[in-house]
Amino acid sequence: MDKIRRLFYVASAWGAGSCLIAMTLLIISQIVARLIGVVIPSSEDFAGWLLSAIIFFGLAYTFNNGGHIRVTIALSRFSSRYRHLVEYFNLAIGLLISGYLAYYTAFTVYESFVYEELTDTYLAVPIGFVQLPMAIGSICLFLAMLDSLSIMIAGRVPNYISAEDNIDIEG
Amino acid sequence: MDISLIGFILVAAMLLMLVSGIWIALTLTGLAIIALLLIENSSIGLLLGTSSWSASTAWSLTALPLFIWMGEILFRTRLSEDLFQGLSPILAKLPGKLLHVNILSCGIFAAVSGSSAATAATIGRMTLPELKRRGYNESMAIGTLAGSGTLGLLIPPSIILIVYGVAAEVSITRLFLAGALPGLMLVGLFMAYTIVWSLLNKDSDVDQESEQYTFADKIIALKKLLPIIILIGGVLGSIYQGVATPTEAAALGVTGSLLLSVLTGSFSLAGFSQSILGAVKSSCMLGLILVGAHFLTLAMGFVGLPNELAAWIAKQGLSSIELIIYLTFFFIILGCFLDGISVVVLTTSIVLPMVAQSGIDLIWFGIFLVLTVEMSQITPPVGFNLFVIQSLTGKNILYVAKAALPFFMMIAVAIVIITIFPDVALYLPSLMTQN
Repeated sequence: MDKIRRLFYVASAWGAGSCLIAMTLLIISQIVARLIGVVIPSSEDFAGWLLSAIIFFGLAYTFNNGGHIRVTIALSRFSSRYRHLVEYFNLAIGLLISGYLAYYTAFTVYESFVYEELTDTYLAVPIGFVQLPMAIGSICLFLAMLDSLSIMIAGRVPNYISAEDNIDIEG
Repeated sequence: MDISLIGFILVAAMLLMLVSGIWIALTLTGLAIIALLLIENSSIGLLLGTSSWSASTAWSLTALPLFIWMGEILFRTRLSEDLFQGLSPILAKLPGKLLHVNILSCGIFAAVSGSSAATAATIGRMTLPELKRRGYNESMAIGTLAGSGTLGLLIPPSIILIVYGVAAEVSITRLFLAGALPGLMLVGLFMAYTIVWSLLNKDSDVDQESEQYTFADKIIALKKLLPIIILIGGVLGSIYQGVATPTEAAALGVTGSLLLSVLTGSFSLAGFSQSILGAVKSSCMLGLILVGAHFLTLAMGFVGLPNELAAWIAKQGLSSIELIIYLTFFFIILGCFLDGISVVVLTTSIVLPMVAQSGIDLIWFGIFLVLTVEMSQITPPVGFNLFVIQSLTGKNILYVAKAALPFFMMIAVAIVIITIFPDVALYLPSLMTQN
């Protein structure tokens, strides 16, 4: 189980990381192409789609590493028992909102596929295909929160809390 | 439902969610859902889906992960050491000596890395022990670092200006132009304060080592600064010249900093993948906040709250100066409890129509907003630079805040100056219009 868990977060991190590298290469080639007088079609749109993939693919990893910021000033002053209860509340609300996000981003992608929509760019691509990372990433964020909840129910401290407690200032 | 009741419910829900520690990005999304439920909107989910898609694919936003990555690469190079060794001989004659190294290296490092708290951490880790060893006044050493650590927010390429530009839909190139002069002015104010303080406290001048630099030392020092100057010149120059968009300049910056790390021998595969993971973490955090903020702005538009607020303010007959004074205090209080990014996105979702309506230029407002956020970075109880320096020095947060207070006042002076002379911010962007 721990192996699957580790793989899940590594996949989230490097899914986003490889899109970041791809986006950088794309923009560099756009600059080079312009210098030699060639235009890469729809490169700005592709960069935007890759950006969306970076943001959504990495959500689960970022969550698990305490990267999503929140106000902890009140939380850190509660007694440990009370803090525990509030963390349950936070995870419950968090699951509700991220679940809502996951359901409806997935629904949006599903509709794009059903209606066979194409992008309005020079190179027409099925929208559903480029939107897919948004749905996958949102669902993974929901799963990551569920994972933290299960760890907490099992009586251990979820990773996002321990990562927050020793904030690495190098970010 | 009455709009003031909706407003009341939303503010209460926001406070509850923020205080209990729900993630900021999800709080924004949650508030938008509550707002749309209250006005009985029937297509909340569809709005969320389409708004998330358009928020996460904006072309102007593509500069964000690239600048973050560039900073992550530079933090792992010898750049900060080179800055310290390069600047020390040059600044040795100025009253305050190495204190100015703190200010200028933070300013320059911020200009290439675009990050604030990380700048304070990187520079401080190196300069604080050195300043202590040479017997500098501790409070000034910490104060200069805390104050100039905030410079990263304003001096382009600034991450927070990109966030503001995307959220407020103003040109990022113009914002970068507008931030340049106020940023330099702030560096000047910090240095001026340090000079005055050093002249008034001559007995605290115990540093003998700085006297011994020869002319040859200075030439060697200048050579160390060369790569940094080229990198800044390349990135900012290509934006200001109009030959590259901010995104392209950022991609060039990533390439340049990778090259720099290879040439200076600090490149390693482990460091490279850490820089990517660091960039992913910050980009996802900011990205989800922007997705939430975009949806909240949309929801607020449906509810009509911002326009209602704007109309109410208009009825009060406030002059724009009065409005700015009120807003400054409001942001400082808000900044005591929220981080800078949250202040910026909440502002653009709710306050922006009011600001636009009272005739305030949105580019100018962005610079003003970032200056107030800079102040909030060094005010307790929540001030990110304070946290960073607290963990670097082990000093109590109130001690650090007190040391930073003079620099807090200097930022306040900068706000007064750009309010009286808006051209400090708006002159450079206006040149762009003429061309």
